[in-house]
Amino acid sequence: MIKKMQKILMAIAFSFLSFLSFSATTTTANAACSVHIGDFDWDSANIHTAIGSFILEHGYGCDVEVTKGSTNPILAALIDNQIDVIFEHWTDNNVALIDPELESGNLVFLGVNTPASEQAFFVDRATSEAHGITSVDDLKRPGIKDLFTDPENPSKGRLTSCISGWTCYTINLVKLKEYGLDEMYTNFDPGSGGALDAAIMGASTKGQPIVTYYWTPTSLMGKPEVDLVRLTEPAYDKDCWDAMMVVVEDIKANGPDVYTPSCACEYKDMSLTKLASGKFAADNADIIDFVEAYTIPTAEVNDMLAYYVDESGGDMEATAMHYLENSSNWESWVSSDVAAKVKKAL
Amino acid sequence: MKKIPQGVYYAIFTVFFFVLIVVSYNHPRTRKKPDSVMELFSDFSWLNDWPRWLDVPFMHWINTNWKIFINEYGLIFDAIGYGLLRGYTELKEVAVQAPWPVVIAAVILITYFTSGRKLGTTVFVGFCTFFIGFLNPRFWDKAIETTTMVVLGIFICVVIGIPIGIAMARNEKVRNAILPILDLMQVIPAFCYLIPGIILFGLGAIPAIISIFIYACPPLIRLTDLGIRLVDKEVIEAAESFGASRRQKLWGVQMPLALPNIMQGINQCTMMALAMVVIASMIGTRGLGDEVLLGLQQLNVGAAIEAGLAIVLLAIVLDRMTQAYGEKIQQRNQPVKKIKKSD
Repeated sequence: MIKKMQKILMAIAFSFLSFLSFSATTTTANAACSVHIGDFDWDSANIHTAIGSFILEHGYGCDVEVTKGSTNPILAALIDNQIDVIFEHWTDNNVALIDPELESGNLVFLGVNTPASEQAFFVDRATSEAHGITSVDDLKRPGIKDLFTDPENPSKGRLTSCISGWTCYTINLVKLKEYGLDEMYTNFDPGSGGALDAAIMGASTKGQPIVTYYWTPTSLMGKPEVDLVRLTEPAYDKDCWDAMMVVVEDIKANGPDVYTPSCACEYKDMSLTKLASGKFAADNADIIDFVEAYTIPTAEVNDMLAYYVDESGGDMEATAMHYLENSSNWESWVSSDVAAKVKKAL
Repeated sequence: MKKIPQGVYYAIFTVFFFVLIVVSYNHPRTRKKPDSVMELFSDFSWLNDWPRWLDVPFMHWINTNWKIFINEYGLIFDAIGYGLLRGYTELKEVAVQAPWPVVIAAVILITYFTSGRKLGTTVFVGFCTFFIGFLNPRFWDKAIETTTMVVLGIFICVVIGIPIGIAMARNEKVRNAILPILDLMQVIPAFCYLIPGIILFGLGAIPAIISIFIYACPPLIRLTDLGIRLVDKEVIEAAESFGASRRQKLWGVQMPLALPNIMQGINQCTMMALAMVVIASMIGTRGLGDEVLLGLQQLNVGAAIEAGLAIVLLAIVLDRMTQAYGEKIQQRNQPVKKIKKSD
């Protein structure tokens, strides 16, 4: 009995000790600063996160933790202040979620990371030239839908769409209805970003026709096999877009049955932006200054993505280092002693 | 046959290893090489961090061959995909078109007879089936799509897996050759073949069915092999003493006695197939997995759990149906116990 008691006491004492030593080590590691970056499952976001975390880690001496995930979980964590900074945010897709948070000051807007991006429907160049498909209206012409037959639903064509659960999926759904294409094409959910890329890549290497939703900047667009033509849609118009988004949000909340005809137009070529949690911004002014200054032109991002895929061997950190070595743009984002520290680490 | 001494194997491996190092060092893709090889022996700083030049260019080899492979053999995969797709759509159409009470009645009937007229199991399975649609009317058609894929996947597993299992049980060499392949199939992460599957077969149900085969077939093959080899030696000797040929021995003695194990294999196969169909929603496969994914992506915990529950119910239904059949066979194989029970 006494022996058992001793054992229990020992166990308690030991666990206490280990707890103490654990908390001691964590406090020392936190000495400089610690940043929790949210990253997403597409490569342009990955590259900004890699460059940002390299500078924060080596220039500012921060403890950098990166959490990667889908849009909604990461944004939820940001709103909850579990994540401090995100380096790429597709603003227009999440207006309803983010705007109130920006107004209340829970999140801070930190400017643009890449000036221009495209989101649109694309057709592979060979099919586009052979059949003269240049706009979404051309998709309605007789016989065109049979080029893209959906094997699981042969009476329709397959428009490989955005991932269901992403807002762009619902936007595409409404667009198809507005353009009168929903009877002819399935709004096909590829399930994940990797699957969408693989579908485009597969069709391109095999020379099969494909009509798909896609976006830039992306490494896939820089690949030699992939040659896509953007389909023109009615020009972007804010009133039209806002009217459509009301329907989109309604469908997201209540299912596709609540669709009401409104309006549709092309995606706005938008700026990709950066966000931080308000709490983190208040405590880390110098880091926020850096993140706010951070911006890279679209062409350079495409180059980096091509380097990432074809040269670096799939190594994001090597790609980030390649950029930092070969460009001097970034030195204007940080103070000269931080820049010196980063250069030393390269 | 003369045995090759162990030392020869070691020598072959060592030579292979060094050849690989030299080849990767000389590969044009290898980066940050020192100016000359001699530098490696005067400056030892490369021992601190893993040097960039010590890198086998497997990725480039695979990528180059992968492209050639698609160009050369893409058509074969298109043909396989087309065949499977026809089977899938026809089967699905029939089940989706059927009124739901008919489907439930069919499930109940099948369970009743496969389980050997066990009323408890039958009622339970019927209840679970009803509850899939009851949870959310949208789930009914999706559950049927999922089940169709699972059934088709299992069918391929059985057609290919059981003969392989039999061959393994009868021939040691085949066994030694197949076992590492089974290990590979079971351990390799699903995404390694899901994404290339899209390039070969396109998005949707077909890469999912192929993935089911890769993921769920190994336990069936293993259990078939095990079941046949576990048959009592005395029983086989008895069969031999009656002058049974190899074929008679297999079909008359070994297979019937191994059937409970094989049924267990099919049961395991079913469960793993269901798990894979859920993962396959990441590559655009329709069905219940799609609903879970959608719920999670919209951060709708309720929807995700509801769909998760429907998958559990579907798993219970499929499990009880295959399990019950296995138990029935097991009882039939043990006549002694049966007599005792009826006393």
